[in-house]
Amino acid sequence: MSTPFAVDLIDIWKRFPGVVANAGATLQVKQGSIHAVLGENGAGKSTLMNVLAGMYRPDSGEIRIGGSQFWFRSPSDALAAGIGMVHQEFKLVPSFTVAENVVLGSADRIIRRSSIESQVEALAKQFGLNIDPARPVWQLSMGERQRVEILKTLWRNAQILIMDEPTAVLTPGEAEELGSVLREMANTGRSVIFISHKLHEVKEFSDEATVLREGKTVAASLRVEDTDTSKLAGLMVGSSPVTTDRPPDREHGPSLLEVRGLEALDDRYLSAVRDFNLDVHSGEIVGIAGVSGNGQRELAQAIAGLRPVKSGTITINGDDLTHALPVERFRAGLGYVPEDRLGVGLAPRLSVIENAILRNYKQLRQGPLLVEEKMSTYCEDIVNKFGVRTGPLNEPIAGLSGGNLQRLLVGRELSGEPKVLVAAQPTRGLDVQGVKAIQDLLVAERAAGVAVLLISEDLDELLTLSDRLLVMHSGKIVGEFDPVNAERQDIGAAMAGGAQG
Amino acid sequence: MSEASMIGLLTAAVSFGALLYLAALGELISEKAGILNLGVEGMMAMGAVTGFMVALETENAWLALIVAMLVGALFALIHGLFTVVLGAEQVVSGLSLTILGLGLAAFVGKNAVGRPPGAVLAPVDWGGLSDIPWVGPILFSQSPIVYFAIFCGVVTSFVLTRTSTGLALRGAGESASTVDASGHSVVQLRLGAVAMGGALAGAAGAYLTLCLTPQWTEGVTAGRGWIAVALVIFGAWRPGRCAIGALLFGGLLALKTRLQTFGVDLSPILLSMIPYVLTIGVLIVISIRARNRPSSSPAALGQAYRREER
Amino acid sequence: MGRLVLTRREQTLRGGQPLAFLIGIVTALSIGILLLVISGHDPMAVYERMFDSSVGSPKSWSLTLNRAVPLGLAGLAVAVAGSMGLWNIGAEGQILAGAMMAAWIARIGEGWPSPLLITVMLLAAISGGALLGLGPAIARAQIGVNEIITTLMLNEVALRLLQWLIHGPWKDPESKGFPLAPMLPGEARLPDLFERAHWGAVIALIVIALFGLVASKTAWGYELRVAGSSGETARFAGISLKRKIMTVLVLSGGIAGLAGGIELSGNADRIVEGVSGGYGFAGIIVAALALMRPSGVAAVALLFGAVQVGGLSIQTMGVSSSVSTILQALILFGAIGAGVFSRYTLKRVRKEQDSIKAEPNE
Repeated sequence: MSTPFAVDLIDIWKRFPGVVANAGATLQVKQGSIHAVLGENGAGKSTLMNVLAGMYRPDSGEIRIGGSQFWFRSPSDALAAGIGMVHQEFKLVPSFTVAENVVLGSADRIIRRSSIESQVEALAKQFGLNIDPARPVWQLSMGERQRVEILKTLWRNAQILIMDEPTAVLTPGEAEELGSVLREMANTGRSVIFISHKLHEVKEFSDEATVLREGKTVAASLRVEDTDTSKLAGLMVGSSPVTTDRPPDREHGPSLLEVRGLEALDDRYLSAVRDFNLDVHSGEIVGIAGVSGNGQRELAQAIAGLRPVKSGTITINGDDLTHALPVERFRAGLGYVPEDRLGVGLAPRLSVIENAILRNYKQLRQGPLLVEEKMSTYCEDIVNKFGVRTGPLNEPIAGLSGGNLQRLLVGRELSGEPKVLVAAQPTRGLDVQGVKAIQDLLVAERAAGVAVLLISEDLDELLTLSDRLLVMHSGKIVGEFDPVNAERQDIGAAMAGGAQG
Repeated sequence: MSEASMIGLLTAAVSFGALLYLAALGELISEKAGILNLGVEGMMAMGAVTGFMVALETENAWLALIVAMLVGALFALIHGLFTVVLGAEQVVSGLSLTILGLGLAAFVGKNAVGRPPGAVLAPVDWGGLSDIPWVGPILFSQSPIVYFAIFCGVVTSFVLTRTSTGLALRGAGESASTVDASGHSVVQLRLGAVAMGGALAGAAGAYLTLCLTPQWTEGVTAGRGWIAVALVIFGAWRPGRCAIGALLFGGLLALKTRLQTFGVDLSPILLSMIPYVLTIGVLIVISIRARNRPSSSPAALGQAYRREER
Repeated sequence: MGRLVLTRREQTLRGGQPLAFLIGIVTALSIGILLLVISGHDPMAVYERMFDSSVGSPKSWSLTLNRAVPLGLAGLAVAVAGSMGLWNIGAEGQILAGAMMAAWIARIGEGWPSPLLITVMLLAAISGGALLGLGPAIARAQIGVNEIITTLMLNEVALRLLQWLIHGPWKDPESKGFPLAPMLPGEARLPDLFERAHWGAVIALIVIALFGLVASKTAWGYELRVAGSSGETARFAGISLKRKIMTVLVLSGGIAGLAGGIELSGNADRIVEGVSGGYGFAGIIVAALALMRPSGVAAVALLFGAVQVGGLSIQTMGVSSSVSTILQALILFGAIGAGVFSRYTLKRVRKEQDSIKAEPNE
């Protein structure tokens, strides 16, 4: 027999209430290689990796590491078997130092601060990771935090490293640096599993790729060198790839959303959006691209009235609404689809009706009372018009699928017949049909003369839908592109902060 | 104000302070691991009654202390079972534990009310040391539990800051999922911390009935469990600062009965409000400081953790 | 063989809570039997006495009702705060504050017509409790100070304040040196409803029903639900979270204060330290068992009232009244335990899955 696989996952099933996340997924990783696991959002990549890392217990299936079968009860079992995972949401203790985070779980019984700090520093140097081991983690940037996570696995001497969408929080430059660290690890005999849906990264970094769709493996261990990206894309989306066509060009109307000299602060009171100017015209979709964490979130919140504006003005349909409340903006014609669907846009414990009326409940009153018939009519209108599939309308929305939640949310925002629509990551985490439905809605609004501001991390979506594409970096617009003629490379350079356009 | 009465005050401050410190240390350990236990008063009552009853039966104060600690730990594990394992609301479970503890203690100790103690924890004999002026009576004439409390404070401080278990325990109170992913068992860490908290509260209770007020009456704990909860906040979750707070609060308790001796015209009752008012003040300061950096309060305090919840 | 692991159910069991409540009662009674047997009592005789004395006759019902009033109002106070995810642990102190304000009005209003005096007393009681809730409310809304601790601390502060009043300014010169406040004037006493029951029961029921109605039917109640579900969503909907937190905590304090006023005017001869009688803490259990719903609060309060009255009655049999305290706590623990299983189920994990097993390489 040849050398056994470093990782061999066989027929893994994992169900969550209402969702089958893995339905017979398989994965085989060769030792000393970088293996990409590809799939759309919701394809079951993260779940499969969490099974491998011992976070989730599979309902059925087999885990083989280096040829031996394992049952992981907990992450510590997986760690003992040499598996380290860097989660999408970092698992770090913010108030601990870098060194304390690194040694957590595998230190000597007695800890000497200076000694662990020098050991961690030495380890970091060995793999070319630049970090100060004595700094508390809450002071670090996202890229630095990721380095701490990688150090944690190296400290444990993990032979198998799982990275869940590692580049989502990185600039292209940082991503390249990460690529060389991963290569260094593979060269020392470790195996790296790298989850992504960004095809060019897969092409650049990995040796082999496995593609997941709807919880199943649809293509196993393809040699990346011999596979072109369009084939990978086809495998990811399946037989019915997303083909929202580019909407026909149309004349733009007057400018409905005007942002002038905007400055807004982030949660740490640092300037997140600076010197920002923007016009969105009637019948136009303006796309905003950028690596996450460059002020897109704060920009959307400032326009929606969820974040105070430090200086500058925001004008919607001619009214200066810089300091207006979110409700006042809604009445003035602003619809807002927030990036955190549950928790900002919707209240998970409340019913479909209660969520549907959120923006307009004051119109459904009679004296101090809410009129139940008016409430349910209002809700039914949205549900029917936007095809939200729900159970009973007075049941909590927590049971709805992501796509239906988003339809309900978008439907509610459009129920006010807005003049301006701000949509932040409106298709993130949705299945293929959901993405299509939401994109179609945006296009329809554009056709109806609404000014649409679309903030997305999905460059393909932006290139397809936008009439103009702006790139944000460090809170500023650093480039403007014509989506039809722009080169991806140039956009990428702008996202990395290079002056362009 | 005579020297003797000053020494008497400080001596009493140390012995009251040790009582508060033991219970507060227990609560601190539990909260550091992320579990708020408002059952201190109940656990103390259980320790107080079992300690007293065992001393009655066996006339062995040390055995009584050990049993009280065990009972305290077991009793705390009820809270552990409900909050750590079953994920119940910590506030509700903790308060119920207080109510249950006060009730059970009263029930169990019904026949012990008014009886003389079977044994007491006599002060340690330090020989010549106790003759040193000031220091001797204040520090070297105390019950062994006072030294035990100091010992526990030092050990707790060392374990929390200098050992890998302590690091993991603090991690469980800051970010349980991180500790889980690191290979530690959050459930074990938290249960362990809760049990330790109960043992120390039990010891504090036994200290009451075996030493400070050597008899059992219903309500002997007299709200001192709540002062212990306050003390943890006053000390900003640090064993060292809690010790200072314990001396201060203990001093206030001691001063209460001595106000007239010192010729101060102030109601002793109003004096006993001070710890609570101070604690509210400290909490406000902590909250203001926590605006742009991590708070000194454990970030995951009060939150249940279950791995596959998503 | 194998290990049991808690696993989330696909769907929460319907009707789980009433069932859990019932299981809680059964658990508590069973453990109670055990305790009574161990301590040499006849458990059935004890339970029978408890039952008879609390619900066996109109008179016993009236006693139960009188206890249920402060329990229900304290429970409602906790539930009002709980509807927004806040914890008011300070009902105990707010009851005292309410009673103190009412007692103060009774002192200065001696000789007023009874209905006027009682009305002013109860309004003062509400403001007393609300005042004690105001501090934690401001601290929570403006600075984000944890309201659990502040309300808890204020319990002790209110208690000391009352002790000070009784030992000092309010001490009755005719009490022969005992620290006792003077007797309440007759016109400060709530009139009787039937047997021993006073009109407090009617007031409490109206308040509970009113809040239930407001919470479920009005826009204000809707805003409260949104704010309780997600603070960000509330802001998005134009609901001021700070104002809601303030309103809810002050209202919660006011309701607890009312309980203190009613308790003083209806049940006490004079204001004493024990006027709060642990109702504030028991109210937290009541609210938790009622899942923070007003209708549930009324029912649970009635049950707890009966258990407490029963507890007092068994003292003549030589049994400690603490049995009732123990039962109350055990009902809650039993119900929480059972409640967990309406959301979770135990799954047996096969033995071979339970240990890391490394097979020899092929």
